[in-house]
Amino acid sequence: MSVKYVPVTWNRNKLIYDLVLIAGVVLYIYVYLMVAPAFQAVTRPPDGAILRMQAFGSCAFVMLSVILCIGPLARLDRRFLPLLYNRRHFGVLTCAVAFVHASYVLGWYFAFSPVDPYVAMLSSNTSFGQVQGFPFEALGIAALLILLILAVTSHDFWLAFLTPTVWKAIHMSIYLCYALVVMHVALGYLQSAENPVFAVVVGASVLTVSGLHFAASRIPARAEPERLEEGGTGWVVAGDVADIAEKRGITFDVPGGERVAIFKYDGKLSALTNACAHQNGPLGEGKIIAGCVTCPWHGFQFDPASGRAPAPFTDKIATYRLKLDGSRILLDPRPNPPGTHVDPVTIPDELAKVT
Amino acid sequence: MAVANDKQREPFFVGYFNKIPAPLVPFLAIACGMFVAGMGLLSFSLATTANDPGDGRFVWNRVEMTGIITTEPYPVLYAPDAETGEPTAFLLSGQGKRGPGVGRTLEDGMAVLAGGVLLKRGSIDMIQLAGGERGVKPANGGTGTPPEGFAPPEPVSLGRWRLTGEICDGKCYQGAMRPGRGLAHKACASLCLIGEIPTVFVSTGNVEGEEFFLLADKDGKAAPDAIYDLLALTVSLEGEVERRGNLLVFKADFDTAELL
Repeated sequence: MSVKYVPVTWNRNKLIYDLVLIAGVVLYIYVYLMVAPAFQAVTRPPDGAILRMQAFGSCAFVMLSVILCIGPLARLDRRFLPLLYNRRHFGVLTCAVAFVHASYVLGWYFAFSPVDPYVAMLSSNTSFGQVQGFPFEALGIAALLILLILAVTSHDFWLAFLTPTVWKAIHMSIYLCYALVVMHVALGYLQSAENPVFAVVVGASVLTVSGLHFAASRIPARAEPERLEEGGTGWVVAGDVADIAEKRGITFDVPGGERVAIFKYDGKLSALTNACAHQNGPLGEGKIIAGCVTCPWHGFQFDPASGRAPAPFTDKIATYRLKLDGSRILLDPRPNPPGTHVDPVTIPDELAKVT
Repeated sequence: MAVANDKQREPFFVGYFNKIPAPLVPFLAIACGMFVAGMGLLSFSLATTANDPGDGRFVWNRVEMTGIITTEPYPVLYAPDAETGEPTAFLLSGQGKRGPGVGRTLEDGMAVLAGGVLLKRGSIDMIQLAGGERGVKPANGGTGTPPEGFAPPEPVSLGRWRLTGEICDGKCYQGAMRPGRGLAHKACASLCLIGEIPTVFVSTGNVEGEEFFLLADKDGKAAPDAIYDLLALTVSLEGEVERRGNLLVFKADFDTAELL
């Protein structure tokens, strides 16, 4: 969290994260350009520019695949969450690597001609009506444009300026980008690759990315809420005090589709919307730190009773009313306006001792 | 029913704190190590299994040849072999993605002194002509007289064939780019052909031991615009094959083209 916008708020974790990223990319490029050529079974080596466009292009593809695996991995195993925290750095670096790939393509395949390279790039292959020979370059250009937009808008300034809903919608286009890149590769280089290794890598990427997303979509299994029978008040049973560990939360889907996070802390219970104001992160998987609900994605914090970020921050989220029926937690599913203070429910001593 | 968070007791990471929870450190160290090592291994695997681009290459010494130009389907220089005196074909190109006739007039039967650099691949060479008169000028001191008793070979028909292979631009395939074929190179090949670089056909089989053909339409003229949709793909074509000295010309009927 930062109260003012700076390019990057560096800390030790971010430095380590970025150093690991850069080490991976530098190793990839170094091996491709400097080590592997000595082991290639070729009559004469490929052109340096073509070797570089292959190196940076395949590197960007691998990076994009890894990026898309981080989200579901973090859902399946929370130990991956630290990799999610600075994922936008990964995305910006991927965009830079893809841009280098495109620059080599532009400066080699589309150079040496009387036709302007940019015009040539858009006009030299117009076989849009066929699958074989389709202008796969257009797919790559579209993917690169998406990466550029995502990289440019990755900063929190744009998140606040565009609103989280719009920002998130824009950044979901990373999946369109990935689909375009897969098609770019499948209709291009893969068609001419004589060795199956590249096809295996592309296939493994698609299977892994889609498989992990499918697996992550299967958790958690949610049950229909149990409505309280008496009085038709609309209150619903949201769980049991014993379900919640101290300073942790549970999530609960209220009728209508909203998800609520209920936290237990200092002998009290409070309920907030599960969606963080920052990037809709799952607050219910967060933790109470320094008296505040702390989002597991980027550490944004909110007072559990009021849903307000601690000063000087001004973010607000919706709160919910709770009451206890024995050890059962009852929730009024109607959200309060963001930032509305709701007195926490005090857990009776006998229940507090049980938990 | 609420979803009980069964991960409530796991270590909790907050990125803006400098300290990573101790139980996470070994896991993250292994994950980071696997990422870096995986990048290296993937890179090696992909780079060492890339296609062989062949032996095409520039030979960066200026050469000069005196011979006679034929212009159909594309300009070819026939010069006497240094040892046998037999006519030897040299494909011609200009600088970059420009054909040999760009910026100059090449007429059928012209006797010229051609100069430039060689592109070598297989049994047929190409000359990338230098600009202006350093590239082409009338033979024998500007008189335009051909070498005594020398003439381009007469075409000999080798019959009708159906050939399977790839349509390429003659210059990149000869070694101006390595690899100079394949779908990744399609747009570049299109630009070369737009620039009037000769079109060639590289067959998967051979005719009289040759897999490399200068590609013409069925009337022996330059290949039609229809080739742009066939370029860099595996394609099957039927037509007459003609021998012109050491060069084979495939006079393809593009109505018979099939994408494979």
